[in-house]
Amino acid sequence: MTARLLIVDDEPDFLDIMTEFLLDEGYEVLAAANGEEALAILQKNSFDLLISDINMPGMKGFELLARAAELYPAMKRVLITAYDVRDYLNMAKNFNIGNIMTKTTPFNFEEIKLFINNILTAAIFGLGKYIKGTVHQAAIRTSDDIEIVNNMIIGFMNSDRHKRKFRQVLGEILINAFFYGAKNEDPEKKHGWNFNTTLNQGEEVLVSWARDNEKSGVSVLDQKGRLKKNDVIYWIERNTTKGDDGISLGLGDCHGKGLFITREIIDRMIINIEPGKKTEVVTINYEEGLYDGHRPLWIQEV
Amino acid sequence: MNIGSIVFVGIDDSLFKTSLMNRGYTVMQVSGVSGIMNINEPFDLMLVCGELVADIDNRSLEQLYFANNSTPVALLLKDHRAITRQQLETVSAGFIDVLYDFEISAGTIYPRIDALVINARLNRNMRRQQQDFENREDLEKEIMLREKILIHERVVNTNIVGSITSGIIICDLKGTIILTNKHAQGVYSSAKADIIGLQYDESLVPEASSLVDTALKSIFSTSRRTLTKKIRTGDFFFAVYCYSMLDYQNAPNGILMLINDITEQENINVLLYRSEKLATVGTMMSGIAHELRNPLSIISARTQRALTKTGHDPEWLDKCFKSIEAQTKRCASIVNNLLNFTRNTATTSGYNAVYEILDETLTYVEYQNIFDNITVQKRYEKELLVYGDRSRFVQVFLNLITNAADAMSGKGLLTIVTRQASSSSTLIEINDNGPGIDDTIKDKVFDPFFTTKEPGKGTGLGLAIVYKIVLESNGKIWFTSKPGSTSFFIQLPSKKERSHDGATVNRG
Repeated sequence: MTARLLIVDDEPDFLDIMTEFLLDEGYEVLAAANGEEALAILQKNSFDLLISDINMPGMKGFELLARAAELYPAMKRVLITAYDVRDYLNMAKNFNIGNIMTKTTPFNFEEIKLFINNILTAAIFGLGKYIKGTVHQAAIRTSDDIEIVNNMIIGFMNSDRHKRKFRQVLGEILINAFFYGAKNEDPEKKHGWNFNTTLNQGEEVLVSWARDNEKSGVSVLDQKGRLKKNDVIYWIERNTTKGDDGISLGLGDCHGKGLFITREIIDRMIINIEPGKKTEVVTINYEEGLYDGHRPLWIQEV
Repeated sequence: MNIGSIVFVGIDDSLFKTSLMNRGYTVMQVSGVSGIMNINEPFDLMLVCGELVADIDNRSLEQLYFANNSTPVALLLKDHRAITRQQLETVSAGFIDVLYDFEISAGTIYPRIDALVINARLNRNMRRQQQDFENREDLEKEIMLREKILIHERVVNTNIVGSITSGIIICDLKGTIILTNKHAQGVYSSAKADIIGLQYDESLVPEASSLVDTALKSIFSTSRRTLTKKIRTGDFFFAVYCYSMLDYQNAPNGILMLINDITEQENINVLLYRSEKLATVGTMMSGIAHELRNPLSIISARTQRALTKTGHDPEWLDKCFKSIEAQTKRCASIVNNLLNFTRNTATTSGYNAVYEILDETLTYVEYQNIFDNITVQKRYEKELLVYGDRSRFVQVFLNLITNAADAMSGKGLLTIVTRQASSSSTLIEINDNGPGIDDTIKDKVFDPFFTTKEPGKGTGLGLAIVYKIVLESNGKIWFTSKPGSTSFFIQLPSKKERSHDGATVNRG
């Protein structure tokens, strides 16, 4: 069955391009120029996905999505913006929205397609969905494996840029997946952790990595699914918000800094969650300069 | 004719008195020594006579003599045996003279009395002269003292006038300069060291001269007594104040001119102005970066589609290219606006549609989070023009709109109204429905460095600069504020005005 999409934007040109593109992709598409118009269309037709610009005259994107969530809870929702998503993290937290796409330059049709497809289907796991190249895999069973796998992946990266960026974040992601994700250790009692731990069968942290001609990526997946979407948005927002003293609110926290740092350093951080089953952190880094500075918020819970 | 005054002390026969009066003397009579004290007019001789002669003792005689400024005392005796031994002592001591009855009948007494009176008179005159002399000495001493004080005061005054860092020029009602100090030289018309005695119009720079001229003309009208003007001579700036000088009866008797060198202040103002402009550029830059993202992503998306889509339908390609062209122009106009604003040339005045400037300004700020929950209501009369420097007007509106958004804490209704104020001016009202400006700070809002924002969030210069720009654009700015409605009104000329020489700015 063809998915039905409603796209809302006050830029007629952008609406035109997206409609054209999504029709080409095989969706049924309707367009609205503002929030009020979108709500009127929603009254008459049912849609699988609502895609809305954030900054529009009159009703803003967040407001529209909140109204739509009340009226049509089954419909999926995603925001899109040309602006810096960091400026909207506070709103994302308040409205509990994990998905904000970005209008990048160069425009990233592939990413938009993937993003929309991800939201519409539950098939979100696996690095292969995000990168076309050969996927390499390894499983982490002991804490010693963390270092080994980390080095393997850094060695695999084919540019200094990728090596540098992944070295800054990968260790953190692997440790998080191993100790919090798989072992459920308390980060506030780090001194009491047992660093010589072996995970049971079915508990292993599964790591995969790949590259294609424009990007390299790593997926780290734990098989517990303890991470929650709300927590991720909360931590990221907390670290980007400064308190009265001008210091990041999250600076003293034990939780969440790894996620925040990863989002700041790596071009894309995608978090897929199947509660109680698995959590996947996909990190993707583009070749020099591509889509730099435009970071979507991409957190999926299925 | 009165040739002298004689007092008879004691009772005497009247014949002698009468003959003395006939001779030209004024004669007074007291019965005893103490009666002397009751005589208020001056007299020249005391004649002790009658029964009293026998009774009067030395002490009383001395008393008489000394109590009346050494006026001679004479005893009128019956004969030479009538004098006591004691009385003789005072005679020999020179305090008293002795006259005899027989001298009256012989007539020899009169020359003696004349001599005594003349002597007394001479003595008295001498004493008076001596007294006068002593008084003059005192006077001279006092004059010298006063002169010293005067010299001291003059030195102090000269020092004050000379040491004061403001320039001082005083001229009289005829316009003659009567006092200056060295700091006043900044407004001299030529490099003269001394202009005292010259007329103001031949010694001061034209701007200062015209100020004195105005001051002199209005000196007797009570309405205006202080004139202010900013004068530029070369690289220096002076604030010149002209006051009417008043005498002790509050009547004008001259013009006092104070000249303050404000060059440093002016230079700082220029720097501040520049830094505020940079801050504005900063806001605009981030607005522009945001504004560019939309058209750029559209251009990129259109181009990619045109490049990858197979089967080139000419109509569809035409649509793509037109869209790319339109979005490119949009980018260019955004960038050009910034260039126009930052171009540091002299003011480029011209006619602009005021609604266009307001809309342009809104594009720089509307992307900001603080505007997310602010509804902007525009009530434009689109044909209205303003005359002036467009980029400076952008700066004015940017400040006022940002302030309004801040005042509403990012939630509320911002209303922008334009309307015709007069045949030659346009009124712009920027209204917010925030909590309003507190009464206690209403008179401070245009002061430099005054801010209600948190540290680091406002320079406190925004409205001061706004004020300056509006004034320099020959406009006016004011505001009304109550809880729930604050309006800033900016009245700008809609026509080019004839330039007038240096507006006098008095902010009270």
